[in-house]
Amino acid sequence: MTQITIRNAERSYGALKVLRDVSLDIADQEFAVLLGPSGCGKSTLLSAIAGLDDLQSGEILFDGQNVAGVEPADRDIGMVFQSYALYPSMRVRDNLSFGLETQKLPKADIRKRVEWAADLLQITPLLDRKPSALSGGQRQRVAIGRALVREASLFLFDEPLSNLDAKLRTEMRVEIKALHQRLGATFIYVTHDQVEAMTLATRIAVINGGVIEQFATPEEIYNRPASLFVAGFIGAPPMNLIPAVVRSDAGQAYAQLADGALTIPGLTAADGTEIVVGIRPEDLALCEEGEAADLTGKVVVAELLGADTLVWIEVAGQRIAVRLAPEDADRLDPVVRLRATADRISVFDAASTKRLELTR
Amino acid sequence: MTAARSARYRSPRHRQSIVRAQHFGLYLFLFTAALFFSIPLLIMISTSLKTAAEVRAGSVFALPVEPGFAAWTRAWGEACIGRTCEGISAGLWNSVIILIPSTVLSVGLAALNGYALSLWNVPRAGAILAALLLGAFIPYQVMIYPLVRMASTVGIYGSLPGIVAVHVIFGIPVLTLIFCNFYKGLPPELIKAARVDGAGFFRIFRRIVLPMSGNIIIVALILSVTGVWNDYLLSLIFAGRDNLPMTVQLASLVGTRIGVPEYNVNMAATLITALPPLLLYLLSGKYFVRGVTAGAIKG
Repeated sequence: MTQITIRNAERSYGALKVLRDVSLDIADQEFAVLLGPSGCGKSTLLSAIAGLDDLQSGEILFDGQNVAGVEPADRDIGMVFQSYALYPSMRVRDNLSFGLETQKLPKADIRKRVEWAADLLQITPLLDRKPSALSGGQRQRVAIGRALVREASLFLFDEPLSNLDAKLRTEMRVEIKALHQRLGATFIYVTHDQVEAMTLATRIAVINGGVIEQFATPEEIYNRPASLFVAGFIGAPPMNLIPAVVRSDAGQAYAQLADGALTIPGLTAADGTEIVVGIRPEDLALCEEGEAADLTGKVVVAELLGADTLVWIEVAGQRIAVRLAPEDADRLDPVVRLRATADRISVFDAASTKRLELTR
Repeated sequence: MTAARSARYRSPRHRQSIVRAQHFGLYLFLFTAALFFSIPLLIMISTSLKTAAEVRAGSVFALPVEPGFAAWTRAWGEACIGRTCEGISAGLWNSVIILIPSTVLSVGLAALNGYALSLWNVPRAGAILAALLLGAFIPYQVMIYPLVRMASTVGIYGSLPGIVAVHVIFGIPVLTLIFCNFYKGLPPELIKAARVDGAGFFRIFRRIVLPMSGNIIIVALILSVTGVWNDYLLSLIFAGRDNLPMTVQLASLVGTRIGVPEYNVNMAATLITALPPLLLYLLSGKYFVRGVTAGAIKG
C-alpha cells in the first residue's frame, strides 16, 4: 500500500534547474512511467522519491506522510539501477541477502526470501556465482531480485533495460509487467524508451526540461497529447505537425495551411490565431476518385515496415508521414491526394504550445 | 607495377628479417640499460662477499677470489656501532615495531578518507583535497621544527608513539589522494544501492568498498612500507635513543671512524637493511603495476 504525492518539487544543480515545480499524484498499485529525453530530470525525480537526493523545495508524501529526512532504507522501497550496481565482491546469494542482513532478519527468513526471489526470477542456478560471471540479462535479473527480497510496497526502476540487447529487452519488459501484476505493489519506472512506457504503464508522466508536460494513460497520451512536445515525442514516427492559421468563413472556422485548407469540426479559436495541426500517420488516407483532398503532395520515399508501409510525402516543403496498407503503397501515383480523419485531428496553440480543446 | 609500388610489397622473408633486427636492437638496449642500473648493486654484492684484505688489495670491480659470508655475519651481529658491538640486528626489530603501526594506521586512515571524500557528499571536499595535495608536495624538512615542538607539548617526543604519529601524518596526504582517485572510478550507484539496502557509512566501507580495493591497498602498502622503512631523518629526530631503526644504526655503523674502514662489512649491512623493501617489490611488483594503472585509467 503506497500512494505517492509530489508537491511543487524543485531541484537545481547550480544554475541548472532540473525540476521545476513538479507535482504528481501516483495511486496505490499503479505502474507509473516517467518518460522523457535524457537530461529532462526524470532520474533526479526518482532519486528524490528514493531519498537518495534532496529536494530544494516542495515535498514528497508516502500515504500522506511527508518523507523528508527519512533514510532510503526506511522508506520501504526496492530499487533497480541502470548499471545494475551489483556488489562485485559478493556472490549472487549475498547480493540478495545483504539488505536483509542489515535489517537483522532471522537467518531462516532470509534464506526463504532469497529462495523465493531466485525461484521467481529463475536465477536459482546462479546463486553461488559472482556477478562478473553473469551475462547482462542475468545481472539484470539479480538486480531485480535484490529489490524483490525486500518485499517493499514501492519499487523504483531507473532505466533498467537500457543496457540489454533488443530481444532481451522485450522479454524482460513482459516479465516486469507480469511481476507488477503479481506483486500488487506500486511501481515507478524511469525510461527514455516510449515503447517501454506505452507497453508497461498504467499512466505515463511525460517530462521535458524539468516540467511534467502530461500525466495520463498511454491511450490518452497517444490520442490526445497535451502539448506539442508530447505530440512530437510519442509515436514512431511521431505525429505530423503542420503549421496553420485560423480563418473563418461565414462563422465556420477552418485551418488555413500553407497549401490548402482543412476543415476541423469544433475549432473555435479566433480568426488569425496561429496554430499547429497534428495528425497521426495512420489518420491520413488516400482520397477516393473525385473526393476533395485535405493535403496534396509528392511521394519522397516509401518504407516497408511489415504490417504496413510508411510513405513520406512532401507537402508545401514539409515532410509528412502516412501509414498505408502495403498493397495501397505499391501502386501510388507520384503525386498523392490525402484526406484526414476529421475527429482524430489534434490542434495546438502555436504560441503556448498547449493543446486547444475542440468543441464536439 | 611501378617501382615504388613493388618496393612496398616486400617478400615475407624480408619482412621477417626486419622484425628480427628490431627485436635485437630492442633487447640490446634493454640489456644495456639494466646493466647500467644494476652496476652499483652488483659492486655492493661482490664487495660484501670479499675479505677485508681483498678489499684493500684489489680494485672495486674485481670479483671476490674466495667468496664468503664472513662480512655478512659481522654486519649482522658483531660490528661495532659506537661502543656497542652487536651489529645492526638490534635495529631490525625497532624498524619492524615502527613499520607495522605506521603503515597499518596510515593506509587504513587514508582508505577511509579517500572513501569519504570521493563517494560521499563531504562539504568542501574539493578544498580538503587541494590541502592534501599541498601537504603531499611541501618538503617535510620545513615542518620538522614545528612538529618537534608539537610532539614535545603532547609528550610523545622521542618515543615510539611519537615516530609512528609523524609517519602517519606524512603518509596520509599522498595515500589519501591515491585512494580517492581509485574510489572515484567506482560507480556511484553502488553506494546508492547499498543505502537503499540499509547499509551505513562504515558497513558500506567494510562490506562493499574494501573488498574491491585489493590492488590499490597493495600499492598503498608498498609506498608506505618503503617510505617508513627507508626513512632516516624523521626516525633520528623523533624515535628517541631506544627505538632507533636499522637505517639510523646503519648510518652510525658506516660513519664509525675507529681503525680501518671495513667496506665489506658496510656493504653487507647496507644490503641487509635494503633487503625488505627490495623483496617487497620483487614479490608484489605485478600487483603494484596493476594497481597503479587501475588507478590511472579509472581516475
